[in-house]
Amino acid sequence: MNIYKIKRISTSSVIHIILGSVALTCVFPVFWMISSSLKTQDQIFTKMSLLPGSLLDIFNWKWGNYWEAFVKADFGYYFANSLFYTVVGVFFVILISSMAAYAFSRLEFHGKTFLFYLLIATLLIPIPGVFVPLYLLLKNLGLLDTRTGLLLCYISNGLAFAIFLLKGFFDELPREVEEAALIDGCSRFGIYWRIALPLAKPAIATLIIMNSLTIWNEFLLALVVLQDKAKMPIQRGLMVFQGTFITDYPLLMAGLTIATIPIVIVYLLMQKHIVKGIASGALKG
Amino acid sequence: MKITRKEKLGNFLFVVPALVLFLVFSLYPILRTFELSVFEWNGIDKHMTFVWFEQYKHILFNNPAFWKSMANAGIITLLALTLQNGLALILALLVTKNIKGENIYRTIFFLPPVLSGIVVGLIWKFVFDGNFGILNHFLVNIGFASFTDFAWLSEIKTALLSVGVVHMWKGFGYGFIILLAGLQTIPVELYEAAEVDGADAWQQFKNITFPLLIPIFTIVTILTILGSMQIFDLIYSMTRGGPAGHTHVPITKIYEYMSNGEFGYSTAMAVIFGMVLLVISGAQIYASKKLNYDR
Amino acid sequence: MSKLKTIAALNLCLAFMLCVFSGCQPKEVKPKADVVIWHWMTDRQAAFEKLADDYYEETGVKVLFETYAPTDVYKNKISAAATANLLPDIFNPVGDKKEVASYINADFIADLTEEMDKDNWKDVFFSKALGQNSFEPGNEWNVKPGIYAVPLDVNALMIYYNKDLFKQAGLDPENYPKTWPEFIETGKKLRAANIQPFVSGFGEGWLIGAFAQSYEWNLFGKDGVLKVLEGEIPYTDPRWVRIFRLFEEMKNNKLFASGIVTMVNKDAERSFATGKSAMAFNGSWGVNVYNSMNPELNYGVMPVPSLPEGKFPLLMFGGEGSSLFVNKSSPNRQKAIDFLRWMTQSGPQTFLAKETLNIPSNKNCAADLPPMLKVFSENIKNTFEVLPKIETWQVVNFININLQSVIIGERTPQDAAMEVQSEKERQMKAGK
Repeated sequence: MNIYKIKRISTSSVIHIILGSVALTCVFPVFWMISSSLKTQDQIFTKMSLLPGSLLDIFNWKWGNYWEAFVKADFGYYFANSLFYTVVGVFFVILISSMAAYAFSRLEFHGKTFLFYLLIATLLIPIPGVFVPLYLLLKNLGLLDTRTGLLLCYISNGLAFAIFLLKGFFDELPREVEEAALIDGCSRFGIYWRIALPLAKPAIATLIIMNSLTIWNEFLLALVVLQDKAKMPIQRGLMVFQGTFITDYPLLMAGLTIATIPIVIVYLLMQKHIVKGIASGALKG
Repeated sequence: MKITRKEKLGNFLFVVPALVLFLVFSLYPILRTFELSVFEWNGIDKHMTFVWFEQYKHILFNNPAFWKSMANAGIITLLALTLQNGLALILALLVTKNIKGENIYRTIFFLPPVLSGIVVGLIWKFVFDGNFGILNHFLVNIGFASFTDFAWLSEIKTALLSVGVVHMWKGFGYGFIILLAGLQTIPVELYEAAEVDGADAWQQFKNITFPLLIPIFTIVTILTILGSMQIFDLIYSMTRGGPAGHTHVPITKIYEYMSNGEFGYSTAMAVIFGMVLLVISGAQIYASKKLNYDR
Repeated sequence: MSKLKTIAALNLCLAFMLCVFSGCQPKEVKPKADVVIWHWMTDRQAAFEKLADDYYEETGVKVLFETYAPTDVYKNKISAAATANLLPDIFNPVGDKKEVASYINADFIADLTEEMDKDNWKDVFFSKALGQNSFEPGNEWNVKPGIYAVPLDVNALMIYYNKDLFKQAGLDPENYPKTWPEFIETGKKLRAANIQPFVSGFGEGWLIGAFAQSYEWNLFGKDGVLKVLEGEIPYTDPRWVRIFRLFEEMKNNKLFASGIVTMVNKDAERSFATGKSAMAFNGSWGVNVYNSMNPELNYGVMPVPSLPEGKFPLLMFGGEGSSLFVNKSSPNRQKAIDFLRWMTQSGPQTFLAKETLNIPSNKNCAADLPPMLKVFSENIKNTFEVLPKIETWQVVNFININLQSVIIGERTPQDAAMEVQSEKERQMKAGK
């Protein structure tokens, strides 16, 4: 074995040790959550073991908790509602913010700088303050207890950061291709749609992940704005297990596991695109 | 290139949807917040008392607990800016090093942000628990017997730091994916050229990666500042601002006043807090712009 | 210009799609119910729904129970709905008396005094149960004296103790400590046997405050407590310093469970239920909680131990548990009141008590309670008396924080009392 190879192997094992130990702390809670979801209420507190029981006994673990959680929490339609809010909300956040960010980065119009900083400034006022005004606004617009009202709040909530992030990315993208396209007679919109947007894929994937997470987990606004149970999101279902006095931990953990899966899927789907940016050669040649 | 009025108008259309939503659903409620902050109001009464800037004055000069909470959030933010972002950067760099299992790591590192606050709070309370907690168990086993019933979250010296650690653990995943996305925008050719010139890993980082990542750093930094200064859920689930108020942060304070019927006062707190954030983030954006032009 | 058109079209498209979303949902289906109730008691929803079904069969009136939890969220929802005048027929503002008063003064809550007098409705309740919901003449918020809510259940705070752990420490499980010195002795013995003596959710301010208040009644009596509220007796009075010293004494004798000052009650309950602590200061709901966490737990209940020098009876936090208020401007007001009247009769109350293991507010049902709950219901008479005034929340907060501060050894009892007093003076000045 030559020195080069030894060096490479030792570097890579050092890297693996670092990554592995951080990864371990991230996996542990997930493991605990799933394991707790397969126990009974008194097992959770009296038996602190990581496994719900011996491995031989695997069929006697409380797999039924999942079904019970699903039924008890009415997850069926809450799930569909959350899916709807997340998909539609994220779609509009990305569409609207990428258009605006592109304009802020590339185009000339009146009041550009002022508007940009005004937008960024709204990132900074903490939510507890704007809660009641928002509620009154929705009432005046007749949007209380409507999906539209909730969605509009979600979308506008996500805009400022998305614009900020995307503008940062657009600023860094080389302009040469766009200028060439412009000379070729492509419209500004065409450039945005066909050139800039695809190049910003890693940033958009990141935004999809982050916004899905926010909307999927949002709870407070939905509960206050909506009255009709049929419009409520999945977090409303989880509430059932957290009584004022008693928390049903196994069912709560089962519910949380179910509620976490879609977000993990979104992440898995999106994170692939984070690599397929410029690095893979979109600009080559 | 000359730009006609019509073109400018066309360009403006790009921002119209964002602007409309923003004006109605963000700016208007914020302006209403400003309005409420000069009234004494309990949130219920039909009558509000106009008090000018009395409440602002009171917060600025007579509410040391609020400023203490600001300092607490400041400490957590500083920790997050350095340690959390440092970790995020190191992990993002290592993961792009073409190692085996890269995808698995990338997936795992984003688990903490995905996890529900309930699970995170419960788990970390088990870790920090004074009585048979995981951390104490470990410390005692490696020979620090004095930690047998050390309650990390209830000691003045360690409570804030402990919460800070959990906050960083929960948050580094965000910085990680944004930096990861940022790293992808750096053309591979630059590294290939550098390799040909015989630049080592550190030189490549210093001369290519770092300068090109500055705009992304700005984003990550702002995100960290906002996320850390506005920390709330974790504090609420782990310490409720205790022991004896030593882990209060601005949002828990605002919340406390609001839930005690001090609506006008708490909005004034929110406005002041917003201003502080504005100044910090403004300074940060300015600094990174400067850095960007200087390079 | 094609570009202009494309973008304009896109904007139109956006606007159109948003309209479609508003169109695609079912047209405003108002809940098909006569009486709508918003509550936060998730664990009782099933029992409530059963009662609503029974009521529908009996009377044809449809009652709809809607849960919103946790309590903070529920509270937000109520206050937002109040601002927009969209409160349901029955609700609860979940707050202290001052907040309830502001809802009454803003005309959101119906005065039930007349209804309560009809058929002697109010006589079915434990008299303490109406405490939080009734206003006395001359109350500090200028609320018209009367009764404003219907209590569903009552609760009381006492000390649970683990009989097995007592035995393990060589203590007599049937003979619990009755005075403060005995209590401290018991704690010491438990600690010597390597058992955590005392746990409670002292991270939630109100529990630590409730524990201290028991001794305030013990040392000051009703007149004294009132004088403290009026500011005539300062918090630096030796008796209040003594109260702060009690916590110091507990700390010095290592009575507290590790981490008690940041512990929420659910964690404290877990600690007691799993036998990690021998005594727990907790409410009557604990019976149900411990039963679900560890059905094997062998425990008893004792009153808070009194001070030998206490000249007045030691009272405990308790009385009214959860109550419901009727919306004053609801078109279904009478139907709402009638339902609540029905709900507090023996039948439904016994059913609720059995299903949810709470002490019913209807005193006639107390006989059928499980033994442990019976102890609590007998203790209702020893709960705090209703006062025409309450302490400002800022001072209450200061008391709680300074109690915590004494426990972690940050302040001496004397300093803590002085801190509280200076906040009291600030608040009195601001109040004038």
